[in-house]
Amino acid sequence: MHPLILKVFMNCSSQNLRSILLRPTLFLIVLLLVSFTKAQAQSKELYSYQDLSHIYYSKQKDSLQKNWTCPQVYQNKETQKKYKEFWDSRTDFITNAIMGKNFVHDKEVYDYVNSIIAQIVTGNKKQLPIQPMLLIDRSSSVNAYAIGGNIIAVNLGLLSFADTREEIAFAIAHELSHNILNHADNAIKEKAEWLTSDAYKQSVNAVLDSKYERYSRLKKVLEGYSFNRSKHQRYHESDADSLAVVLLKNSNIAFNPSFFLKLDSADMQYKQPLQNPLKKYLAAYNLPFDDVWAQKRTRGLSTHNYSFKDTTVMADSLKTHPDCIVRYKALLSEATPNAMITPLPTAIKEKATKMLIWNLFDNQDLTACLYRVLQQKDKGATDEWYDMMTYTIFSGLYYSDKQLSRFNAISIMPKEEISKDYYALQTMLEQMPRETLEQYCKDLNGKSFWQSQTADARAFKSLLYTLNFGNEAEDDKGKGAIAKLFTANNINSMYCEFADHFKK
Amino acid sequence: MRKFVGAVCMLLLVCSARSQSKVFKQVGDEISSTMKVITQDDALVGYLVFTKLEKASEDSFNYKISIMDENLNDIGTVNFREENLTLQAVSFDQDVLCLGYLKSSLIDKVMKNRKTYNAEAERAKHAVVVQFLGLDGKQIKLSQVRVEPKTEMWGNLDGTKESHVSLKEPIQLKNIPQRGFACFYGDENGNKLLAYNLSGEQMWKKNISSAKGFAMLTSGTNIYLLSKQQTDMIEGGYQVNGYGFADSVTFDKCPLRDKQGNQLKVLSFTNDPVTGNPVITGNIINADRAGKVVTIRNVTQGPYSGVYTIALNGPKKADWEQTFTYWNDGSLEPAISERGRYTDNNAYCRFSSAFRDFQGNTYFVGTPVTKRIKWGSIASSVILAPMVFVSPFILASGVEKFKLENAMLLKQNNKGALSFDNTIPCNSTKFAVGRVPLSELYSKSFYNINNAANKSNFLIVDDEKDIVIYNVNNKKVVRTVPHQAGKVSTNIFPAKEGYVMVQEYNKRDKYMKLSIEAL
Repeated sequence: MHPLILKVFMNCSSQNLRSILLRPTLFLIVLLLVSFTKAQAQSKELYSYQDLSHIYYSKQKDSLQKNWTCPQVYQNKETQKKYKEFWDSRTDFITNAIMGKNFVHDKEVYDYVNSIIAQIVTGNKKQLPIQPMLLIDRSSSVNAYAIGGNIIAVNLGLLSFADTREEIAFAIAHELSHNILNHADNAIKEKAEWLTSDAYKQSVNAVLDSKYERYSRLKKVLEGYSFNRSKHQRYHESDADSLAVVLLKNSNIAFNPSFFLKLDSADMQYKQPLQNPLKKYLAAYNLPFDDVWAQKRTRGLSTHNYSFKDTTVMADSLKTHPDCIVRYKALLSEATPNAMITPLPTAIKEKATKMLIWNLFDNQDLTACLYRVLQQKDKGATDEWYDMMTYTIFSGLYYSDKQLSRFNAISIMPKEEISKDYYALQTMLEQMPRETLEQYCKDLNGKSFWQSQTADARAFKSLLYTLNFGNEAEDDKGKGAIAKLFTANNINSMYCEFADHFKK
Repeated sequence: MRKFVGAVCMLLLVCSARSQSKVFKQVGDEISSTMKVITQDDALVGYLVFTKLEKASEDSFNYKISIMDENLNDIGTVNFREENLTLQAVSFDQDVLCLGYLKSSLIDKVMKNRKTYNAEAERAKHAVVVQFLGLDGKQIKLSQVRVEPKTEMWGNLDGTKESHVSLKEPIQLKNIPQRGFACFYGDENGNKLLAYNLSGEQMWKKNISSAKGFAMLTSGTNIYLLSKQQTDMIEGGYQVNGYGFADSVTFDKCPLRDKQGNQLKVLSFTNDPVTGNPVITGNIINADRAGKVVTIRNVTQGPYSGVYTIALNGPKKADWEQTFTYWNDGSLEPAISERGRYTDNNAYCRFSSAFRDFQGNTYFVGTPVTKRIKWGSIASSVILAPMVFVSPFILASGVEKFKLENAMLLKQNNKGALSFDNTIPCNSTKFAVGRVPLSELYSKSFYNINNAANKSNFLIVDDEKDIVIYNVNNKKVVRTVPHQAGKVSTNIFPAKEGYVMVQEYNKRDKYMKLSIEAL
């Protein structure tokens, strides 16, 4: 109870409660305080289901499909046909991504990022006569991308990773530069021209002229193209870096090249260790833990020290971006002196992190999802939404286990790509007994942190519980019915996205 | 592997023009892959895909080996060039991968005509190749032994001839923990057992007498070969020979017969999960019934006298532990009749598999045959008896009908006591007349999964419509997975210890999903 309310009642303890409430002024004060207390106790929802791209950008998607048509550029019919093929596949990529709920329009995050774009546009009217279309991509990777057509996408992963407004501004300016310099459009033109060129056809057909090593010859032809493309792309990246610095200067936004050094660790999210052993995080919920679960029992090759020449690592010739250190050195002299740096608002960063955590869960990447929750706890996050997600993740894992799909839900990664703690967590999620997983779900279901959650989050908890333990969810028909009921009763809830999986 | 497949797919999808499509198609047609599991001490430790990429020269090919860990994560690839190879066996120990190939210029070769085939066959050379690779991708050694395989010429519809080569006994490879590998194969000149150390050096080679078939098993530093000899008893004729890995010393021969000289049918030849020693289990053949089970009715006519377990706990006969349990002497009545009918489910059982648990018990698992009287036939024949032409036709199909029902488990403890353990609900066949061959009815497949960590045993029953996963310790069905659910077809295979691989194929959306799941 709010301390002020308690004080009011204590002072009036000798009086009849009814007489207190009959006094209008006092009554109003109490009512306001109660409302304030209730509001403070409940977490705010992240976004609504209708903010997801398949609904929010439905009209834009139709407009893109109808109006983003391939221009007639080539006299040669074959080249024009190939160009149109690539153009259309680009359109399909973005429209499918919109329909696939890859993007979200959360007003708070969107407005923040869009304000940065607006500032860059205002400072560079000649290069950017029209405000670009911004899409917030729900991906956790630290990235932003431009696909041409004055469209730019910024990942939640970038917003979660960045610390300052200037870092995001540089990433946006870099992508806008690609659009200004027509890199995407030129790339698909080059590809169409190359694939329909006589030189390419001859080199491919020549493969069959030889009786031997046909696969190697064909691979060489394609690698030759990839090498050239990668080389051009690296130049494009350098050009985009340089133009981005100009765009920022014109917009009075500071540029700090050390962002490139930070970017070098962008892929290391899951190589960062945790501050505590797994046991401690689970102990906070009074959940049992056995060290044996986190120790790999298998004799499999994954536990051996293999050192094959990693053919998955790209040769320098095939890299599409210059190394971050190279980019840093190239632009060191362009750093804004005495730069005013604007920290990224905590609310935006945290919201972006929460949204990408939810997206990881919905995409059944449960180990990564839980690891990020634990990392947030390491940073001091006390928001009980993370406790809710802990329940959600274990419930999702239990459900996947029942569907003989626990392995796919965990997304086991090789040990070289992750920290020891991530490896232990992954192993634990793989090996913990089914009965223990069941117990986790039931224990977490009854915890007090649910009181602070929104009504739809509590309804979502019930949905998960019913899917796992309810008789009505024994077959697909039953699950579909429960999911439809949840959606009907919580029409705006972001958790309807999860229910969508069962309604199909 | 997934990335490689993706790369090959990219290769094939880049160009849509007809002539380029032809190029991509032709190149793609020349690529072929084989997937094998990598085992160590009979446990799955990884997967390997052996791909023939292209013809490199007149007599050589470029190959690629893609290695995945037990979770299907890619861990590395090895490229090499060699003559025409087919991969037959893979094993692993001490960070050394051992692969056994048959090498021959005649493998799947298409020739213009018989004359060309004969000329090629004349000059062809064949070998068994054993390749040793480190986990750094480097080849440690390549060992070759010349062999004389069986070669055949097949005719194609277009008049060309295709050659096929096969060994009489395909290559078998097993690891000897921390020491090396044993390799067995048979060609037209006989059978050979070879021992290699971890550096790939051949330690010794032994000739093995011929037989109808062989299975190899290793236990500690010993190698065992189960062979089947030609005998009157179709289901009998087995014996086990053992050899020391270090010095090739031959152990006492173990012909599989009981104390009365009755031959034994083998249901399993595996390592005991606790001791690691070889264990052979199966049925004692009833000599009076000639040990021949062809029709359903044969199952109900007492073809077996009982069951047995033989544990080869050492090289000497004195080390062996033999447990025989009989029912044909009436000693197990009323639980099991002299002919092998089980009172608990009123059925006769055709056992097709057996396994050991961690407590020293042997479980025999099979499909019970239920017999019913065809009262309709009897009634019709009685009614129609005056009409001599009709009633024999009715009676000719028999007055009994049979069907195969739920799986059943029979348990033999380490003292030989038999008990009906449980029935596992599975799919049943329809009733059939007694003379129908068993081969015409769907037969369930059984395999067991042990988990040494928690000493649990699971039995997987792969039936016609469903896959049933049964917990032997708890005597409960854990899951029943339908083979077909809508457009999704599911299969389950053994995977790493305590796990199964679930393969789902969605026919409508055309994708396959693989996952490794704990039982």
